[in-house]
Amino acid sequence: MLNVALIAMILALLIPIYEASRNQDIWQKMLALSSIASKTSILVLVISVLRDDWMIGVAAVIILSVGNAGLMLLAQTLKRMNDVVKE
Amino acid sequence: MMDSYIYVMVALLPLTASMVIFQANPYHALVARGILGAIAAMVYAILGAPDVALTEALVGTMLAVMLYAIAVRSSLVMRLGVLKAAQSLPEDGNAPQPSQADSSQLDILTSQFRQILDKHHMRLELIPYADAQTLRQALIEREVHTICLDRSHTALDLHSTANHHSDSASNPPYQTLTRIQRLYEILNEEIQSPLTSLNYVEVPEATPSLTNDQPVSEEVPL
Repeated sequence: MLNVALIAMILALLIPIYEASRNQDIWQKMLALSSIASKTSILVLVISVLRDDWMIGVAAVIILSVGNAGLMLLAQTLKRMNDVVKE
Repeated sequence: MMDSYIYVMVALLPLTASMVIFQANPYHALVARGILGAIAAMVYAILGAPDVALTEALVGTMLAVMLYAIAVRSSLVMRLGVLKAAQSLPEDGNAPQPSQADSSQLDILTSQFRQILDKHHMRLELIPYADAQTLRQALIEREVHTICLDRSHTALDLHSTANHHSDSASNPPYQTLTRIQRLYEILNEEIQSPLTSLNYVEVPEATPSLTNDQPVSEEVPL
């Protein structure tokens, strides 16, 4: 049962990957990146529950929280670059 | 006895890796690298290596992408020195403003530069200088890559290998000098503007900033 849910989640993961490869706008790519980062972490969490493996679960939680911080930093850098270009 | 979903997940890894490879724009490639890092961390975690996954997420994705973003941001840039009077600055209300035509011509010129550099994924950074002398000095001391001078300030000979862009356009109002060979090639290939001529200036290897007591203008009558 949970295997079917996992396959559905992987199929949902393909949507932002396709979007990131097609769309040429940098902010759409960032959006796809955040979507993928969250989805992969949730996937790993589900697998950790499926296998009853707490080590993977802790790693998934840390990746989930830190991935957002990295995204914020990258967005800040890109935004300041765009500001300079527009000036 | 691997589960079937693991094969699907591992197949995502070459998919996103090819996304990084076929990306021409460096910023887009960085975002694609972030996506690859997220997928790789997931694959490492489900294959039973949470420590490797954590390292990939923290160092490979976050730190490396951030450092590369800063490196690309500070290296893919053309620093163009312009005269402060020619640039339309709002805080110079009491300063003697040039005619409106001058500043709008410079705006057109910089937007043309921007269009050319955008094709090579570069930025244009305008750096204002007070007068023509400090502008030339900045080019010699390697503070800027390119300077854009008014034609009235450049009525003097060029010491180094200066190639005139077009002799047919007799008097373009601006003269652009660059000290980077590659920038000269890019701009010379693509610039169509009648507003400026383009010259390449060879700046000597010894940086004159260390020998400030000697007048540089004698060595390089730019």
